[in-house]
Amino acid sequence: MRKLPIWIAAALLAGCSSAPKPEAPKADARPAAPVYFKVDSATAGTVTGKISFTGRKPAKKKIDVSEDPQCAKMHAGGLYDEAVVVNPNGTLSNVFVYIKQGLEGKTFEPPTEPVTIDQSGCWFRPRVIGIQTGQPLNVTNSDPVTHNIHPLAEINRAWNQSQEPGSEPLKRRFKEREVMIRVKCNIHSWMRAWIGAVEHPYFAVTGADGTFELKNVPPGDYMIEVWHEQYGKQEQKVTVKPSGREELAFTFKGE
Amino acid sequence: MFASSRIFAVCAGALLAFSCGTQKETPKVVETVVRPVGTPVEIGTPLGLPPVPIPENNKPTAETIALGKKLYYDTLLSADGTVSCASCHSPEHGFTDGMATSVGFAGQHGKRSAPTVLNAAYNPVQFWDGRAATLEDQAAGPIANPVEMNLSHSACVDKLSGNADYRKLFDAAFGPGPVTIQKVQMAIASFERTVISGNSPFDRYQYGGDRKAMSAAAIRGLALFKDTGKGNCVKCHTIDEKYALFTDGKFHNLGVGVNSEGELTDLGRYDVTHAEADKGAFRTPTLRNIALTAPYMHDGSAKTLRRVVDFYVGGGSSNPQLDKEIKELHLSGPEREDLVAFLEALTGEMPANAGPGK
Repeated sequence: MRKLPIWIAAALLAGCSSAPKPEAPKADARPAAPVYFKVDSATAGTVTGKISFTGRKPAKKKIDVSEDPQCAKMHAGGLYDEAVVVNPNGTLSNVFVYIKQGLEGKTFEPPTEPVTIDQSGCWFRPRVIGIQTGQPLNVTNSDPVTHNIHPLAEINRAWNQSQEPGSEPLKRRFKEREVMIRVKCNIHSWMRAWIGAVEHPYFAVTGADGTFELKNVPPGDYMIEVWHEQYGKQEQKVTVKPSGREELAFTFKGE
Repeated sequence: MFASSRIFAVCAGALLAFSCGTQKETPKVVETVVRPVGTPVEIGTPLGLPPVPIPENNKPTAETIALGKKLYYDTLLSADGTVSCASCHSPEHGFTDGMATSVGFAGQHGKRSAPTVLNAAYNPVQFWDGRAATLEDQAAGPIANPVEMNLSHSACVDKLSGNADYRKLFDAAFGPGPVTIQKVQMAIASFERTVISGNSPFDRYQYGGDRKAMSAAAIRGLALFKDTGKGNCVKCHTIDEKYALFTDGKFHNLGVGVNSEGELTDLGRYDVTHAEADKGAFRTPTLRNIALTAPYMHDGSAKTLRRVVDFYVGGGSSNPQLDKEIKELHLSGPEREDLVAFLEALTGEMPANAGPGK
């Protein structure tokens, strides 16, 4: 009895703190914490690529913002749908890219720095995000109106939360892989975001140049999947050689 | 109100039993039943409201109402003489205080938003969590609450007993005898039963037959308010055939106060009942005079009526006890504005003589 194991002492101390902590049982689960895979940076490689777009660009679609005059005010020139963003260089923005297969058996430590979705100008920004399971998701509201973030998760738990202007960021996490989770705002029906949750750090979202880069990939054989909200999914196999740099090219076709 | 007289009878019974069992220790405690004396007052009923419920043992008199009013506006009821009932339930703010959470004793904030006293007489229970059965019970709470007025009931009685004006008023209201906290409660409750407000544009439209009393937008808003496929607001904010209280007097969880981790920050009704289903549930507030009583919700988190409407459109915030009636609403922008217009038509006439002063 003289020397309490540190974890028991910690548990006792935690028990004394005045704030009720419903998550307390989680601490008990800690001894079974997974052994995280450490990537050997000396041999790790890189997968890069580009998402091209061919065919006809969809016509610009004006959004009816009459649901909220305050949102309309923020977009004097009108608000246009952003489901398809074709870049000037003929590539596609907002494509989620991730390693679909090839990392089985490896457990990656979730980052502590959050991924942030901001509700700004009556849009979710960014529209498409990737997040590692267990990594914190921060939701902020920079607008002067009440928003509502409603991820329609099917594998993870779906939730729905209203957020008043100026309120503190919401912090949430996703437990399971889910590609993709559709997110809506119940208050502003045009607002859309997509979250790709995967259990490893090998994901990216294409931006204004349509390229992606997955760094620090352990050598091995992988299936890379790319996803676009309008044009669906594609996949390609790739073998990453030690310290190799593999380049992939995907093309989505317009209607 | 039968309930309250029954409770009173039970208490008196318990007290008697107690004094019988411990006769020797407390030979001098003889509780006489406290009854108001003086000139009986009939509290009028404005258009749109039912008769004010009056407890059998506390029928209002001119004297109890006058005493209650003086007490209501008197900062003497707080430990440092700075806070009165009206500090947080002020006629200038629709008998609330215009703040998200109220500032009470020594600048402390309570955790909930001050509910309006207007029409509180109709509430079947008082406080956001319903922990007081009557206005009388309610009145005792804030006086002694450390973050509100912070004055113990015995100190309160001492202060009032030491004041010749008050002694006279208490004698006039309840007959000669010592000042007691029960008399304080009864007087304040009687005053509050006069803080009634009806005859709003809605009342004149709905119950007065005046088709022009509400704007076209408010009339459309009323239809949406009642439409079970649209707003369905009446599900909890009730409108009856002959009157409308705009509250079912029950407790519901809307997900207000769900924190960033998705947990309820205030368990509300659960604190009283300890029933799992009551977690995060709060008493449905009346919507009468709602345009005067911003900000909204039990934590004052919604600043405007539009934001409240949007909150409901969004379907609240999910949590395990979310009320089953709270779900995403499909309302266009103009429909949401119509609902706000309707809510603004619920501002009634303010009660005469309810303000400070004679």
